[in-house]
Amino acid sequence: MKIVAAKKILKVNDQLAAENRKQFDAANLRVVNVVGSPGAGKTTLLEALFARLKDRLRPAVIEGDIAGSIDSERMERIGVPVVQINTDGACHLDANMVANAAKELDLNAIDLLAIENIGNLVCTAGFDLGEHLRIVVLSTAEGDDKAVKYPAIFQGSDALVITKIDLAPHLNFQAERITADMKRLAPDAPVFQVSATCGDGVAELADWLVQTLATAKRS
Amino acid sequence: MHELSIVEALIDQVDRELDQAGQTGPVRRLELSIGRLSGVHPDSVRFAFELLTQNTPMRNTEIVIEEPKAVCRCRACGAQTEIDELVVQCPRCAGADIVIEGGRELLLQTIEIEEPTP
Repeated sequence: MKIVAAKKILKVNDQLAAENRKQFDAANLRVVNVVGSPGAGKTTLLEALFARLKDRLRPAVIEGDIAGSIDSERMERIGVPVVQINTDGACHLDANMVANAAKELDLNAIDLLAIENIGNLVCTAGFDLGEHLRIVVLSTAEGDDKAVKYPAIFQGSDALVITKIDLAPHLNFQAERITADMKRLAPDAPVFQVSATCGDGVAELADWLVQTLATAKRS
Repeated sequence: MHELSIVEALIDQVDRELDQAGQTGPVRRLELSIGRLSGVHPDSVRFAFELLTQNTPMRNTEIVIEEPKAVCRCRACGAQTEIDELVVQCPRCAGADIVIEGGRELLLQTIEIEEPTP
């Protein structure tokens, strides 16, 4: 006999993500999922953003890594509440991991939760975590052709942040090229050019983040 | 590599569907739809399934995978082109004003179980 299921294989993840989002909304907490390759500068970008935003809101971070706690130690050093997830080999975070990590945080005592996903431009694209916004971080050193080569992650993101822009002159990186590709893949997503270590572009990104998170309803 | 966690979710889902239908298996065949743009590789799904069902009642299940294509609709020239991978411009006129539909399915369609012997 045949059972007709016709159900999404990741239905459980999607349901958990919806529950996460509901819980975040109830706590009036805004959540951003930060994706990008290993070494793109996700942690450094968050450090720079938090330094700029800490007078305006109360941030916290969920750090996703395959192993180790180097990133969460960096967050502790700047006084941001942090929960480390170690996936023991898994190449992406899922909604269940985020739900468990969120239990470790006082959601009512924070306004902005950044989820730093596993460094990966492929697998992270498929899993809704319950965030309100997803931003993809790409460093100039990775090359300006990545939106074409890894379209899914770019297409599903609400903004592209190009990091290490101060290195662009040494790298034959053309910001116009990837900006044009991003416009085609995600017409409404803005592109920011940032150097977190020099401070370039951080203010613009921080302002956009605050404004957009106030209204964003990812589903 | 994330096919592994997708297949874990699939196996859980099959278990739940069997429960709901009051069936205990054994499962003979599963039909899946994995869209060309889903980022999920059918071969890896088969491999992960084999790996995860070793020594379980599902180990001999046949996996049938349909791979729906996506359609690129061009708002400039009106072309509707079937595509296998994500494009950023219309394959016919190279226009950028395109809408991509379908191809992202990741579905468990049917579960076929062996008839209980009377």
